[in-house]
Amino acid sequence: MPTTENVLNGLAEDRATGALHLGGAGTLYLTGGHVTCAESPAAPRVEDLLAACGRISDHAVRQAMRAQDEGRPGGELLVAQGVLTKGELEFCVLGAVLDAVYFMFDAPGHRPWFRPGERHWLGPQWYFDVTGLFQECKRRRTQLDRTWPSAELDSLPVVPVGRVPAQRVVLTSLQWEVVACADSTATPADLAHRLGRPAYSVLLAVRQLAAAGLLRVPRGEIAAAPAPPGAPSETPEERPAAERRDARVPPEAPAGALPRRVAGVRGIRDAVAEGAHTSGTAQWLPPATGDPTDVNLLIRLRNALEALT
Amino acid sequence: MLGIEDCLAEVMAIPGALDAIMIDQTSGTAVATGGGNRHLDAERSAAGLGETLRAMLDGLATTSPGGTVRIRDVIITTDDGHHLLKPLETVFDGPLVIYVHLDSQRSNLALARHRLQALSGRLITM
Repeated sequence: MPTTENVLNGLAEDRATGALHLGGAGTLYLTGGHVTCAESPAAPRVEDLLAACGRISDHAVRQAMRAQDEGRPGGELLVAQGVLTKGELEFCVLGAVLDAVYFMFDAPGHRPWFRPGERHWLGPQWYFDVTGLFQECKRRRTQLDRTWPSAELDSLPVVPVGRVPAQRVVLTSLQWEVVACADSTATPADLAHRLGRPAYSVLLAVRQLAAAGLLRVPRGEIAAAPAPPGAPSETPEERPAAERRDARVPPEAPAGALPRRVAGVRGIRDAVAEGAHTSGTAQWLPPATGDPTDVNLLIRLRNALEALT
Repeated sequence: MLGIEDCLAEVMAIPGALDAIMIDQTSGTAVATGGGNRHLDAERSAAGLGETLRAMLDGLATTSPGGTVRIRDVIITTDDGHHLLKPLETVFDGPLVIYVHLDSQRSNLALARHRLQALSGRLITM
């Protein structure tokens, strides 16, 4: 099966214009070989971001969608109405595209399907290089892992700890929004939609909160947590061979064999994610337990080690 | 009303401006770059500058009596000139940060700050 990267690179070379549908993972819109818009169910869309900040009503968005045509894209209509400046629209589209693409490229099990000539109602507001997009995704993934190397909390409800393990805590404005909106049932993706903030930013805030020891794992959630639509899955079979990390035990290792040690934090992250999402396929991994005391112990150990240095 | 590229062009028109980057601070993404410095790795600079701003906010928040802080701009002077960071709050994400490197001989810091303030009002309407 052709990978998203191959298909996109081919379309960029052909200077194609149209929409690349990636099944449930989302849709990429191209203009002259550049990506100009992207939508993924895992990330809030441009109109969601605009509506959430109260700048524009759903009604105005629908009106602009209907009124737009080839000559006057919806984005230009919104700017002409004076609801936002060109710079704000560009920044909003830019953020929304990078956000959607991050959750799109890793999503497995879709067959890329290109429909030439299909346009996004906003029209091109910002032109992205295909290689640049892939680099940005890689950079974002590294940033997440550097912040807190476990993907365990990424798809679980966000639950702040009742008591803070410090005398004083400094939060960024987004971290505050996450904590204030967390109701012990909303996952980071749900929070992003509710807050009208990019899903990646919320995910990063959640990992930062986890790293500071301010979140706890909801009891009994690990094994039951379903993977959200379009969330990056970590099963080795679905990933292109080049991206597979060699340090891991091959999946054909006999069941019951001792799990070999994996190199680096990425390995741990993958192991946790696989244990959570694909129970049954990865029998060579120790079973993931839902015991929050394990995680709390690890967090405390880590904090203690950091305090030493 | 300005677009991001127009805004960057106006930042580069500030007397003494050598390089400029627009940064999305939350993700550390370099949104747009201007200037002719071939040694400038915009991606890494953007990530580093975003972190700088975050660390500064953390530091200031702990020292300020109320515990909250809002940075208007940051001025850093080095051997090779002045560096200005101007965070612009946006309603979607961000802040969007304008970074500009100014030549110490040819620039006027007060003028540069004034220009950045005026520009931010035309790029973002809050």
